[in-house]
Amino acid sequence: MHGRNRFYLVATIMPAVTFFVAFFVLPMARLAVESTFGPEGIGIYLKMLTTQRYLETLFWTVLLSFGVTLVTLVISGISGVFLQRNDFPGKSILVAMLTFPLAFPGVVVGFMIILLVGRQGIVGDISRAITGEKLVLAYSMMGLSLGYLYFSIPRVVTTVMAAAEKIDLSLEEAARSLGASTWDVVKDVLIPALTPGLISSGAICFATSMGAFGTAFTLATDIDVLPIVIYTEFTLSANIAMASALSILLGLITWGALTLARTAAGESLAAAA
Amino acid sequence: MKKRAHLFYAQLGLTLLTCLFLVVPVVQSILAGVTKNYFRGVKSGLTLKWIFKVWELYRDTIFTSIFIGVACLAITLIIGVPAAYFMVKKKSRFTRLMEEFLVIPLAIPGLAIALAILISYGQFTSFRKSWIIILIGHVVFTLPFMIRSVIAIMSAINLKDLEEGAASLGGEFWNRFFHIIIPNSMPGILAGSLMVFTLSIGEFNLTWMLHTPFTKTLPVGLADSYASMRLEIGSAYTIVFFFMIIPLLLAMQWIAKPKKSTAINADELKDMPMKPQQTKPAANPSVNAPKANRKKDSTSIHLRNCGKTFPDGSRALEPIDLDIDPGQTVVILGPSGCGKTTTLRIIAGLENPDEGGKVLFGDDDVTDIPIEKRNVGMVFQSYALFPNMNVAENIAYGLKIRGDSKEKREGRVNEMLSMMQLEEFKNRKIDQLSGGQRQRVALARAIAVRPRVLLLDEPLTALDAKLRDSLRIEIDMLLKSVGITAVYVTHDQGEAMALGDKIVVMDHGRIAMSGSPRDVYFNPENHFVADFIGTLNTIESEVKDRMLTLPSGKIPLNGIKHLESKTEGPVKLFFRPEHTKIVDPGLGHLKGNVVSSFFMGDKTSLVVDVQSAELIKIEAQGIQKFTNGDRIELKLDLNHLFTF
Ligand SMILES: Nc1ncnc2c1ncn2[C@@H]1O[C@H](COP(=O)(O)OP(=O)(O)OP(=O)(O)O)[C@@H](O)[C@H]1O
Ligand SMILES: [Mg+2]
Repeated sequence: MHGRNRFYLVATIMPAVTFFVAFFVLPMARLAVESTFGPEGIGIYLKMLTTQRYLETLFWTVLLSFGVTLVTLVISGISGVFLQRNDFPGKSILVAMLTFPLAFPGVVVGFMIILLVGRQGIVGDISRAITGEKLVLAYSMMGLSLGYLYFSIPRVVTTVMAAAEKIDLSLEEAARSLGASTWDVVKDVLIPALTPGLISSGAICFATSMGAFGTAFTLATDIDVLPIVIYTEFTLSANIAMASALSILLGLITWGALTLARTAAGESLAAAA
Repeated sequence: MKKRAHLFYAQLGLTLLTCLFLVVPVVQSILAGVTKNYFRGVKSGLTLKWIFKVWELYRDTIFTSIFIGVACLAITLIIGVPAAYFMVKKKSRFTRLMEEFLVIPLAIPGLAIALAILISYGQFTSFRKSWIIILIGHVVFTLPFMIRSVIAIMSAINLKDLEEGAASLGGEFWNRFFHIIIPNSMPGILAGSLMVFTLSIGEFNLTWMLHTPFTKTLPVGLADSYASMRLEIGSAYTIVFFFMIIPLLLAMQWIAKPKKSTAINADELKDMPMKPQQTKPAANPSVNAPKANRKKDSTSIHLRNCGKTFPDGSRALEPIDLDIDPGQTVVILGPSGCGKTTTLRIIAGLENPDEGGKVLFGDDDVTDIPIEKRNVGMVFQSYALFPNMNVAENIAYGLKIRGDSKEKREGRVNEMLSMMQLEEFKNRKIDQLSGGQRQRVALARAIAVRPRVLLLDEPLTALDAKLRDSLRIEIDMLLKSVGITAVYVTHDQGEAMALGDKIVVMDHGRIAMSGSPRDVYFNPENHFVADFIGTLNTIESEVKDRMLTLPSGKIPLNGIKHLESKTEGPVKLFFRPEHTKIVDPGLGHLKGNVVSSFFMGDKTSLVVDVQSAELIKIEAQGIQKFTNGDRIELKLDLNHLFTF
């Protein structure tokens, strides 16, 4: 590389690096420092990990996100492969329906759940017509799970469809020719081929659920999930140190999940998402 | 089959259920937004008043969102596309660190990022109160999506080759960046742009933390309306949001769909009429100045002490010296990995030689001059034709850089097109050409700029055998008539013999020998060269009392060209198949049994066991027939015996 070109090449990356350092790296570092500025100092982390309210919140948030991720993977795995493999009239409409909510912000997702299972929800109307009792789930853990499913399914379906498209059909044909049953093919060919994609999109799904603020903001009037607790600590209690510490905990968990998935899937998430 | 049908319907059922789950509330919200009173249901009548109400109340949020979305898009384009380019181009530890950063918008919840930005910059009140803080948040969040999208496409196209192609034609950094890199990365840039804009429009997590009552965006407004307005208004507002993102989503789907390529498929290409190039010299003398005239433009090339050690420590080239006369065609020949390409790239200016190495064109020291200033023409193994340009534009690229006027360019392009018999393909895109046609466009593009030297790296390797033959003849005639100094890299000895005025045989980063094709073949300087070029047989023998011992008896050394100065002791003798003759019993030097024979039409190849260390290979006329076990006698052409 000759001198001037090297200079130009550096010039291509400098703006992005400067921006990232100024508005991401430094603020994140500041956040970490700020978390120890409270009256407890570094002890804030001890307090965080010994206060029952925070621990319960953490437990429920992780459980919720994990459960939603599993259900999403099953549903999207089946539907994604199904849509990729079969041709029937109206298929493209189904695909469009499944991917439409991809661009919904969390608040809109929350609103969708309210319309579905809220006080005036359609599910409530139907259940009243059948059992005489109005079913209202929106503001419970159940409603929150539905909300998380609502924004997770479209994302994972898209990844599964893309991954299924890449699977070499002759692998399945070879398995069939060797006498494998449909279930054998699924177990021995399809699932192994989809696994890296499922792991990485599952991890993304988990991370998004952990940090999902908008949906919880609309729905979780009574339920403590981590993002809501951070928000209330910051705005209502003005407990900046605790809000920072909890944010760092949240960031560490999601980052950890993604990194773990990346090692497990053996490919860069950047490529998968 | 029955079971398969069950399975199909079960899957369909699940998929339909999922679709209902996703779509029913969307339909509900649309209905609710245009219903007079949702509690009483649609029977209360339809109305647009809620939509008007939303427009009245929340108009500003829509404009703010669009405005921030556009600004965010602009920033991510300006800083993201170059960054993606850097990361594809420069694979280093720093890049890997950067890649790690790209996972951040997924890994760190928006809430945490917003909090961090607030804590760090919140004290600047005017900044805190403006929409710029929201914009910054959006850029942090969306920039990685842009970079990743562009990286994906840049890794898929052969960026390095295209860029080197452009550089060899004189394209400087920014010219390459804007005319080659960006146009060819367009699909990724477009996809990334839509993604960024959509994400920015819908961003809530960061925005909620960063907004003020005066800087509400659409999602913030939505959250407001859901919390404080009647359901119909919230729904009507949601309808507005749907209408904003639907076009974006449609555009994204349209981009993601694999385009029906305009490329003609390979079979069709094969049948395309190829002009009978062999019958007519490709290089039309009336178009080209006679050789003598050109020769004074062409230059000599000298490498002095040029070694190459790559950053990973691997030594591709020992320091070599090489001299190439003006107008000469030099072929660099050698096995894979011996450093041919590296040598060529040093001449081109795509690699720097190690400290102490020098590259001279004539008397000019060009060692520190980058390729775009060296005025070389280069033909790449992958052709490196620019997919964003048609044939004529590809050929004109280098001329454009040199600032030629439009008429001048057109003249030269047409000249090249007719010289390479490409007229009918003038307006074709590169992916609509066959391999051979691409090859000729690549040649035309390299020659169009009247380079000082022409460099070709295995230009024919990607083609099938027949096409390779005809193109080799074409290239030969072209080089002879243009009279340009050319360096041609190949691992095919036939090509080397046919094209080279001089052949440079390389081995393990060293020059094993250089000389005319005849020299290299008939007077190889060492065993490697003799063995690499042509077939070599070995027999063991002995020199004693100035006599050579052969199975048939002793022969005096005097008069045997390569052996006269041989010292006493055991000796290995080497000879080529065509330097032996099958003779009548009693007249030969060697006796042996035929181990196997292959009839090849014009000749018969024999493998013969002469009770030496190795079996030897010889040739007989095709008409002669042998059976395994036949006893034959061979006479050697003593002037073509080698020993090293
Ligand atoms: N960028 C690089 N970094 C490290 N080693 C390299 C690099 N480029 C080439 N090499 C090494 O240098 C040696 C010579 O490579 P070069 O490409 O010149 O071989 P070549 O003679 O052109 O071979 P081929 O016929 O296979 O193209 C090889 O061992 C190769 O692995
Ligand atoms: Mg090479």
